[in-house]
Formats: sequence, structure tokens, C-alpha cells
Amino acid sequence: MNSDSRARLSGLMTRPYKYLRLEWNPELEALRVRTYVKPIQCYSLAGLAEMQRVLDDIEASPGLVKHLVLTSDVTGVFNFGGDLSLFVLLIRARDVESLRMYGRRCVDLVWWLENASNRGVHTTVLVQGDTLGGGLESVMPFHKVIFERSAQAGFPEVLFNLFPGMGAWNFVIRKAGFSIANEMILSGRLYTAEQLFRRHLVDVVVDDGDGDAAIEAVLNGVHPRLRGTLAALEARRAAAPITRETLMAIVDQWTEAALLLTDRDLRLMERLARAQVRKAGDITREGAVDEIKRLELDTAWGEERTGITEWSALG
Amino acid sequence: MLPFFADLVMRTDEARREFETNAVVLDAVAHGMTIERYRKLLLELYHVVWHFNPVCAAAASRVPDAQREVRYYLYDHMHEESGHEQWVMNDLEAVGVGHAETRAHQPSAHTLALNGFNYWSADRRHPCSVLGMMYALEVIASVYGGTFASAIRESLLLQGERGVSFISSHATMDMDHMVTLRKLLNTVDDDAAREAIVESTLLNFHHITRVFEAV
Repeated sequence: MNSDSRARLSGLMTRPYKYLRLEWNPELEALRVRTYVKPIQCYSLAGLAEMQRVLDDIEASPGLVKHLVLTSDVTGVFNFGGDLSLFVLLIRARDVESLRMYGRRCVDLVWWLENASNRGVHTTVLVQGDTLGGGLESVMPFHKVIFERSAQAGFPEVLFNLFPGMGAWNFVIRKAGFSIANEMILSGRLYTAEQLFRRHLVDVVVDDGDGDAAIEAVLNGVHPRLRGTLAALEARRAAAPITRETLMAIVDQWTEAALLLTDRDLRLMERLARAQVRKAGDITREGAVDEIKRLELDTAWGEERTGITEWSALG
Repeated sequence: MLPFFADLVMRTDEARREFETNAVVLDAVAHGMTIERYRKLLLELYHVVWHFNPVCAAAASRVPDAQREVRYYLYDHMHEESGHEQWVMNDLEAVGVGHAETRAHQPSAHTLALNGFNYWSADRRHPCSVLGMMYALEVIASVYGGTFASAIRESLLLQGERGVSFISSHATMDMDHMVTLRKLLNTVDDDAAREAIVESTLLNFHHITRVFEAV
């Protein structure tokens, strides 16, 4: 590494972050970003801004970072997704501009990740806990998605009459197809790591506690053939393109749908927000996932309970 | 260019999150409060509510004609908020604190700091700063008020609106208030006024968080 690269790396690593912790692996030229939006791990405006700052730094130093790894430092939670309290505030204020801007900022992150292979960066994410809505959307564009076995995820937005608007449709369709995107987004159901693996949305499922080893295995496996892998991933993008225009158009639709939410919908959203709060800092308490189960008793986890879906037959 | 309301939301979002994620607030919203702590909170709120209209009046008296819409808004709002300290008194009575005790209560340093800042800012900084106070209070009421009222009801086994009428009713009322406030804030185009509103919002979230923390 020359002195210019060292200076750029030093600039990247020493920038003060409130919600992120950065780790550098010099051998693999891998940057690990640990998120810690305490105590409610969600995509707050400030958290989004910090994440974008990291991505901008990587982009400003082409060739410096070969691998980007994202993990959560909040035990039991990868990411609860959108900042529900902010949504409630903006919807009650009928503030379409801010809602749209929030959505666009999320899409900026998703779009960066979608373009990562073009920037010479291979991306890996490890999910070790609950990840809901926007949290799951943010996972989808990563090249390699690792889940620990107890992690659970889903798109609960339909339960309060909304839908995930920051890339869920595009990326789930690309990875798993229309029918699974329909099933996941329109049902609001929650899925185990194994169920997501069977739907081709998760690449690797490992036992709890083995996530770090799985990251290492992925990085060590990809690194010697990084150029070829990235070239192949670029070709994959050409084969199944996702455009920024489509992502932004869906954000606009999401904004319009959000403004149509009723008081009842907002109260449900507040219930989830309150449930997030309950779990914050104490993973033994019931959280948003438990609240979703209550909200959608008949369908959430129906597969687990009844065992009568086609997926259970896959073993 | 962003409308001012959107700018205000963005620039003060961390302060809102500081309030929302304060350990005491988190616990109160999730699990409610003991009766003793709820009484203390209402006693502090009584003094915040008591001074709300006088702060608005102080600000209205200094709003220049260039921002006369702000002044008219303050007149309307003061009318609407008149007597609401009485609602707090009634809630206090429902949880065992008599009117005389409420009136005699000495507010905490944090409540005095909150009220003191709002008078000072309206008088010395910029009269439009009062909109920052209103924004912070209405965000708290409309976003967290409903869930907080539910948590209090559940934890103290209160029936209906008894004991939570102030918090509960403001959670509902402030939904419309937020729309009106957004429209008004978007008409404020004076830089000094805008900066004072942002500063006031940050300070109000800060002091209100301390008030909660202390009970």
C-alpha cells in the first residue's frame, strides 16, 4: 500500500462515527462496518447519513476497499428497518417531501450496493438477529448474504397497509422470482433463516455463533478470484437489470401510499414502534417480531405451525 | 431547495431520537410508570403547560408584520390551548394529587430551564423561536403521546381517559396541529427566524428529555 492509499485509509477509518464501528482487515483489504444505532437499531436519518459517508469514502478511493462487510453490534437485532416514529411524524404532518427524501436516501444506499461490483467491491452481510422491512431490504443487494440460524426476517409493512418501497420488489424478484416476492411482501409473514435460504434469498445459513467464521470463509473464498467474481456479478446485473429510475419510481409510490395511511394503520405502526422499544437493550423481552406475530396471528408463522405449505415439503 | 419543515425535521432528528431513545422515556413508553413517577411528571408538565400560552403571548407581541401569519397562528393556538393546565390538574387529581398541592409544587430545575429558555428566546433571540417549542411539544404529543398514554393506562390500571386526559387528548388533537404547523413553518423564509426555530427545537427536546429523566 502506497502512502496515498495509507492516507486515504486513515481518513476513512478515523472519521468519527456515532452509530458505526469500522474495522480494517489489511490482508483481505476488507472493511467491516458494524452498525450500532442504539438503542433502537433502525435506519434513522443520522444512521443513514453515516452509512452513506462510509460508502462515499470508499467510492472516493477506488481500489482501496476490496470487500465490504456489514454486521450489527446490537445483540439479537440486525435492523428493524425504517424509523417508524419518524414515519408517524411525517405522515401526521402530511409531509410528502420529507417522506420522499427519506425513501430516496435509503435507495441511494441500496443503489450504491447494487453498483458495488462495478466499483471493484465485493459485499457480504451477516444477519444475526431480527431484521424487518427496510432492514431486510438493505440486506438484499449484498453479493453474499449470511444468516445465523435463529435470525428471522420479513416484510411486515402490509400489516399496516404499506409496502416495502426501497428495493424489496426489485431484489426479491431478481433473486427468488415473482411468486416468492408476492408471497413475502403481500403476506407480511416472518421467515426463518432456513426458509429464506430455501427461497434463495440467503446464501449461507450457519449455526448461531458461527457467523464470523462464515464471513471469513466467504472472504477467503472470494478474494483469490475477486476480479472474476466481480466481472461475473457485473454480467449478472446486465442479465437481470435493476434501474435507479425504477427504484425511485417505487419510492414515489411508497410515499403516496404512506400518506393514505389511516389512524388505525398509524396506531398499528406505533404498536410496532413500541414493541421495538420494549426489546431495545433487553433481547429477552418480546419485541417487534412478537408484536407482528400478534398482529397477524393467522398467517405469521402459519407455515411453522401447520406445516402444510409447499415449502415445508422441501425439507 | 427543501421546504423549511423538511429541513427542520432533518436538522433536529437526532434531538428527537435522543428524546425517544432516552432510557427513562423508552421505559415509560414501553412499560408505563409507577404512580409516584407519573405524579411527578404531571406536576412538571403542569408548569410547562401553564407557561405555554404566556410564552406564545410574549412571542406574538414581538412578531414583526413581515411574519404576521405567525402572529395570527399564535392567537388561534393560544385560544385553543386555553385552560389546558386545568386538564393536567384534573389528571393529577385522578391520581391523588389535589389542586392545592399542584399549585404549590416547585418545578424542577429542568422545567425552569425549559420555560426560562422559551421566554428568553422569544424575547431576545427571535419571536419565531416559539415555533420550535411548539414543534417539539407537538412531535412528542402526536408521535409518542398515544403510546405513552396507553402504557400509563395499562401500568396504572386507569379507566378510559381518567388520569391521562391531557396526554391522550393532545395525542389526537396534535395530528391536525402538525399539518397546520408544517404549512406555517414553510412560510417562514427569514434566515434568522429559521435558525432560531431550529435552535429552539433542539433546546426544547433537550430540556424535555431532562424533565422526563428527572422524575
